[in-house]
Amino acid sequence: MSKELFRFPLYLTVHPYKAFWELKYDRNQRASLWTAIVILALLSLTSILQSQYSGFLVNFNKPEELNSFMEIVYVVVPVLFFSIANWSLTTLMDGEGKFVEIFISTCFALLPLILINLPWIWLSNYLTFEETAFYYFSNSVAALWTLYLLFVGNMTVHQFTPSKTVLTLLLTVVAMGFMAFLCLLFFSLVQQIAGFVITIYRELTLRG
Amino acid sequence: MMCKRIIERLLSIILILVMCMVLPVSHVQAAPPSYQYSYWGDTVAAPAAYMATRIIDGVMMGAGALQEPADIHVTDDQEIYILDSGNQRVIITNHRFELIRIIDGFVNEGRMDSFNNPQGIFVTADKQLYIADTGNQRIVHLASDGTLLNIVRSPESEMLLSTFVFQPARIVVDRAGRMYVMTLGVFDGFMEFNVDGTFTTFIGANRVYVDPIEYLWKLLSTREQRSRMVQFTPTEFTNLDIDAEGFIYATNGDQWGDNVKKLNAQGTDILRRNGYFSPGGDIRYAYIDGPPRLIDIDVADSEIYSVLDAKKGRIFTYNGDGYLLYVFGGIGNRIGEFHTPVAIERLGDHFLVLDKGYGEITLFEATEYGRVINEAVRSYYQGDEERASRLFEQAVNMNANLEYAYDGIGKSLLRQGEYQEAAEYFKRSMDRKNYSKAYQLYRKETLREVFPTIMTGGVILLAVFIAVRRVLKSRGRKRVVTFE
Repeated sequence: MSKELFRFPLYLTVHPYKAFWELKYDRNQRASLWTAIVILALLSLTSILQSQYSGFLVNFNKPEELNSFMEIVYVVVPVLFFSIANWSLTTLMDGEGKFVEIFISTCFALLPLILINLPWIWLSNYLTFEETAFYYFSNSVAALWTLYLLFVGNMTVHQFTPSKTVLTLLLTVVAMGFMAFLCLLFFSLVQQIAGFVITIYRELTLRG
Repeated sequence: MMCKRIIERLLSIILILVMCMVLPVSHVQAAPPSYQYSYWGDTVAAPAAYMATRIIDGVMMGAGALQEPADIHVTDDQEIYILDSGNQRVIITNHRFELIRIIDGFVNEGRMDSFNNPQGIFVTADKQLYIADTGNQRIVHLASDGTLLNIVRSPESEMLLSTFVFQPARIVVDRAGRMYVMTLGVFDGFMEFNVDGTFTTFIGANRVYVDPIEYLWKLLSTREQRSRMVQFTPTEFTNLDIDAEGFIYATNGDQWGDNVKKLNAQGTDILRRNGYFSPGGDIRYAYIDGPPRLIDIDVADSEIYSVLDAKKGRIFTYNGDGYLLYVFGGIGNRIGEFHTPVAIERLGDHFLVLDKGYGEITLFEATEYGRVINEAVRSYYQGDEERASRLFEQAVNMNANLEYAYDGIGKSLLRQGEYQEAAEYFKRSMDRKNYSKAYQLYRKETLREVFPTIMTGGVILLAVFIAVRRVLKSRGRKRVVTFE
């Protein structure tokens, strides 16, 4: 069982059609959800390690400004945004996927980012300038692979046609933009209100 | 339980001690004398490279008070020429500011002629004077004894508009006697004149900057409206200087882009901008102040050049690669600060800053730190990397924030074959290109050392592996046989 737990995500990266089908219809959802969360955590860890330990030639982060917590946020929030936006769209577009299924498939699709980028953190320390091309190439491969898995996962989860999947994915990006805008608006308004209340409080205390 | 309490108490005592040690120091610490920009664009403390030692006014020179002086020039043998525009004269002193001569006019066709609000002066190696006589719309060319050699008046050319008014403001002359003139109200670059004073061409025009929003408005408006709008014009240059090889260094008053240029004979910009930031004064400034406005440039030997920012009164010095070396000056009332600085000039390794508002010259002398940097950059330029490295090490000891110095040390180490240390230094100066170079050599070296061991180890391992497998196989076969 435990061996299977490791093997299935790896199997998924190379046989996405079969595996996503299994993921949706055959496998224990609770176990899958936990696996998905572990993958997300691993990706966060990869991202932190990447910005801390990547080789000098490919690491453009300012070490003093590195914040592990923010690195986690940069990984988790987009995934959540994507899942929410995708779910809100597909419920309107006759998608069959439930929110949990969307979240699980999204997380599973991120696996190539870990598989390829994690070893490169170590390898990138032994690169020269000319060889960094390989590094960037691998990064692009990882990104494209993930995109492909995302596409297949989404298609399987919602039982869409390929063209409809592409359309929903594009619309999802737009929806994510809207959500980001609304969040920004919300936070800035809350900030303004808080500022207003604080000013009044200060005024009162200083007068009193 | 007991143990834990003791540890806690000990820790608190240590904490208090540490606070006692740290807090007073941080309170006492005064503002650092100067600053630098780190690779990340942060302002970091730096020791002063130059200190103001004297203020000299016209009375001290024995020439009477200066009135709105506009330009200053120092010859190779350290004679100082001050263009006292308000008094329409040129004051010539030696390097101790002792008066040699005053030129307040010249004989022109048998009559005494004088200047009218001249703005620029240039003195050649054989001490011929070129004066941009702005108010009289001409350039006056005098011999070293003050006799008139030539007058260049408004040129006639099809390149010029009929409404063109010739107002020369700054001038430099190359070895061959060609004049490069910065003219007020001209957007096409510098005017180049032949030895005999005939206008040949414009060189080095600034690029036009188009504000996208304004461009949109222009697209939307009618032709009539458009004709009333301000045209997009390239900005004027603000000053120029010429180095020993005949390259023109120029500053312009733009609020954007590269404001320092090095022009070759064709007028193309060949300034190297390999520093952490492209040369052009402060990169961090308050929003209300806006970006620096460069109004003078001075080129020294070894491609070292300095620019003067009129807004903050600061002088920024760069080396030929475009690394910021040091900053000094400011606006204010104390010595070493100015009211309206208009011109800078090097007197050997000293700096002269001309203040138009006060009518004074401030003399800056290099500190130990400044001297070390100057010498280091010079040694490096001359190819003496070992000496440069030693000097850079001294500079680093005085200012650990001088990232550029680590680069100098790294380059010297690289040449000596200390690849690992070189890579380490390049990492510190954030020089990725040279780091890669050093690292590649270091990697090759290490691999060459380790490769035989790895290969022998590998071969032995392989042999052992095969042998073990064969033994196991033969045993297995036997077992299989027995089972059968």
